[in-house]
Amino acid sequence: MPQTTIYVAPRSPGSPDNPLSAVTTLELARLFGRSAALAGVSLRIEPGKTIALVGPNGAGKTTLLRILATAIRPSFGSAQVDGLDVAKDPERVRTRVAYLSHATGLYDDLTALENLRFAATMLDVPAAEIETRIGTALADVGLAAVAEARVVTFSAGMRKRLALGRLLLSPHSLLLLDEPHAALDEAGMALVDELLGRWREVGITVLVASHAVERLAPLVDGSVRLDGGLLAEISGTGVSHNPGRAHIGAPSMAGFDS
Amino acid sequence: MKTRLTGIVGLLAVVAAAIFGLFVVPADLNQGDAQRIMYVHVASAWLGYLSFGVTALAGILYLWKRDLRFDAMALAGAEVGVMFTAFAIWGGMMWGKPVWGTFWQWEDPRLTTTALLLALYVGYLLLRHLTDDPTRRATRAAIVGIVAAIDIPIVHFSVIWWRGLHQTATFGDPSKLLHPSAPPLFIIALMSMLAAFTIVWVYLMIRRYQLARIEWQIEEHGRLGRINAARRVVQPRPGASAEVRVEEVTS
Amino acid sequence: MSELARNAGIALAIARKDALAELRGKHATTSTLFFAAIVLLLFGFALGPDSRKLTEAAPGLLWLAIVFAGLLAVGRLHLVETDDGALEQLALYPVDRRAIYAGKALSGLAAMLVLGGVLLPVVAILYGIDLAAAWLPLIVTLLLGAIGFAAVGTFYAGVTVRMRAREVMLPLLMLPVIAPLLLAAVKATTAALGGDPFGELTSWLQLLAGYDIVMLIAGAATYGFLLEE
Repeated sequence: MPQTTIYVAPRSPGSPDNPLSAVTTLELARLFGRSAALAGVSLRIEPGKTIALVGPNGAGKTTLLRILATAIRPSFGSAQVDGLDVAKDPERVRTRVAYLSHATGLYDDLTALENLRFAATMLDVPAAEIETRIGTALADVGLAAVAEARVVTFSAGMRKRLALGRLLLSPHSLLLLDEPHAALDEAGMALVDELLGRWREVGITVLVASHAVERLAPLVDGSVRLDGGLLAEISGTGVSHNPGRAHIGAPSMAGFDS
Repeated sequence: MKTRLTGIVGLLAVVAAAIFGLFVVPADLNQGDAQRIMYVHVASAWLGYLSFGVTALAGILYLWKRDLRFDAMALAGAEVGVMFTAFAIWGGMMWGKPVWGTFWQWEDPRLTTTALLLALYVGYLLLRHLTDDPTRRATRAAIVGIVAAIDIPIVHFSVIWWRGLHQTATFGDPSKLLHPSAPPLFIIALMSMLAAFTIVWVYLMIRRYQLARIEWQIEEHGRLGRINAARRVVQPRPGASAEVRVEEVTS
Repeated sequence: MSELARNAGIALAIARKDALAELRGKHATTSTLFFAAIVLLLFGFALGPDSRKLTEAAPGLLWLAIVFAGLLAVGRLHLVETDDGALEQLALYPVDRRAIYAGKALSGLAAMLVLGGVLLPVVAILYGIDLAAAWLPLIVTLLLGAIGFAAVGTFYAGVTVRMRAREVMLPLLMLPVIAPLLLAAVKATTAALGGDPFGELTSWLQLLAGYDIVMLIAGAATYGFLLEE
C-alpha cells in the first residue's frame, strides 16, 4: 500500500457568488475549427468532492478538463476554479490545479528521476524537500527500481504511473484526471483507486473522466454525463447544474463580438 | 454607400493625379520620363508601411481585447500592404532600369528593405493560411505581426549602414528627389498622387475588412448552427438555455 | 526566494533539461554539425577553387552556414517538447511564461555557441583564414550573433511548432527577420578579420547588441501567448 503523504493546498476561497464551489462553469463552450467540442455546459462542483465525468467518445470530457486546466481558452462562456476565472487569471488557477492528460508530458531522453526533478522545480517544491518527495512518489507508484532508467524504455503503463507520481509532488486543490485507469495493469488500476480514496479523504476536489463507470462508482460522490458537448445527466452529490444567469448574466462571448 | 463613394472619389483622384503627373509636369532633366514613376512608387511604398502599421496595432489590440474584429483589421492591413509593397518594388525596378541601368540596385537601402518587408508579410499571410482555428490564427498572427513591425526599423537602419560602408556614388538616390529644392510642380504631383492613393487605400482597407467579417460570419453561422443543433438533439438536459447567436455585421 | 531568482532557476532547469536530452540523443547534435560542415564544403565547390575569392567570402559563408544549421537546431529544441504532450505540460506549470522563454532561448544559445565554436575553425581550415589574430572580436561577434539568433529562433520555433508545414514555415518566417543580424554579424566578422581598418567594428557590434536586446524583449513579452491557445 502506498505510503503517500498527500499535500493539500490551502482551502478554496470560493467565488463571491458561490462560496461553496470548487468549479463553476457557465455556458462553457469551445469550438475547434468547424466543430463544437463543448457546446455550453453550466455546472457547479463542491469542494472536496470526487466527481466522475462520463460519456461517449467525443462528448467533450477532455475539452472540459483542458479548459479547467487552462490549456485552452473557452470560446464562449466562463469557468472558475476556486473562484478564479480560467481565462482572466490563468496564472493563479495553475497554482491550484493539476491535470493528468492522455499524453504523459514526459521527456523520453530523461530518466524517471530526472523527469520528476524537473517537474518538482517547475512546481516550486522547496529545494530541501525535492529528493525526499521524489523518492516517496516513485516508491508509491512502484517505479523506485527503475528510477534511473530513461523513460523511452518504459511501457505505456509505466509512463502513466510516472505521470501519476508527478501529481504527488506538490499540493493542489483540484485534480483533473483524464482516463487515469487507461493503459494500466490490475495493480496500476488498484493504485489509482487507492489514490482516489486518499484524495477524497483529505478533501481535494477531483474531476475524473473515465469509461470505467462501474469501477469508479464506489469511489466518487457524484457523476456528470456529457453527450455531444452538453450536460446530459447529473447524479449523486457534490455536483449540480449551474442556473447561473441570475447572478452572472448572459454568457460572455470571449473572442467574439460582445 | 459611403464606402462606394470613397472608392469612386479615389479612382477619380488617381486619374486626375495621373493626368497632372503625366502631362502637366515637365520631364525631369536627368531622368527623363522615367522619373514620373516616382509619383506612384513613393505613394505605394508609403501606404505599404502604413498598412503594416495598422496590422501591428490591430495585433496589439487583439491580444488586449480578444476581439476578432481586430484580427480582421490586421488581415486587411497585411493583404493591402503586401499589394502596395509589391507594386512599389515593381515601380522601383521599372524606374531603376533606365536610371541606374539595372533592375536591382543593391546600393539602395529602400529597395532592399522593401523586399525584406514583402517577404515578412508574405510569410505572415502564409501563417494565417496554415492555421485553421480562428482564435489560434488570430493569436499567432498578432504576435508575428507585432514582431515583424518591430523588425522593420532595424532592417532599414542596418541596410543604410551597410550601404554607407561602400561609399560608392549614390546617383539617382530617390531621397534627392524629395529635397526641398526640387521643382514645386514635382512636389505637387507627388503630393496629389499620395492623396489620391490614400483615398484608394482607405477604400480597399474598409472593403477587405468587411469581406473578412462576412467570411467569418459565414464560418461562424455554420459552427453555431452545429452547437444549436446539438442542443436540440440531446435530451434530457438540466436547465434550458437560449441559443447562441452571431451578431450581424453591419456595413 | 525572490521572483527573479525563481525565474532564473526555472530558466536554468529548462535549459539543463534540454542539454541533458540533447546529449543523450547525440544524433541530433552530430548531424546538425555535419550538415553545417557539408554546407561549408559545398560553398567551396560553388565559389572555388580560387582561394582568394573564398577567403574574401569566408565571413558571409560562415554566417550562412550558422544560420542554416541554426534553423535546424532551434526547430529541434522545440520538437523535444512535442514528446508525448510535454509542451502542454510545460505550459500548465505555475511558472512565469517569460522564464519558459528564457529557458528555451538559453538552450538555443548553447546550441548556437557549440555550432559557431565548431564552424569557426572549420572555416579557418577550409578557406585559409588566420583566426589567432582576431580571436577576441570574433568571439564577441559570435556571442552577440548567437544571442540574437537564439532570441528570434526560440520565438519563431514556438510559433511554428504546432503548425502544419512547420519545416518550411520556420525558415520562411524567420529568415527575413534575422536579415539585420546576418548583415551586422558578417560585417563585424569581416572587420575583425581585416584588422578593422575603418574602425567600424564597434558600430556593428553595437547594432548586434541592440538587435539582441530588442528581440529578447519582444520574444519574452509575446512568447506566453503561444503557450495558451
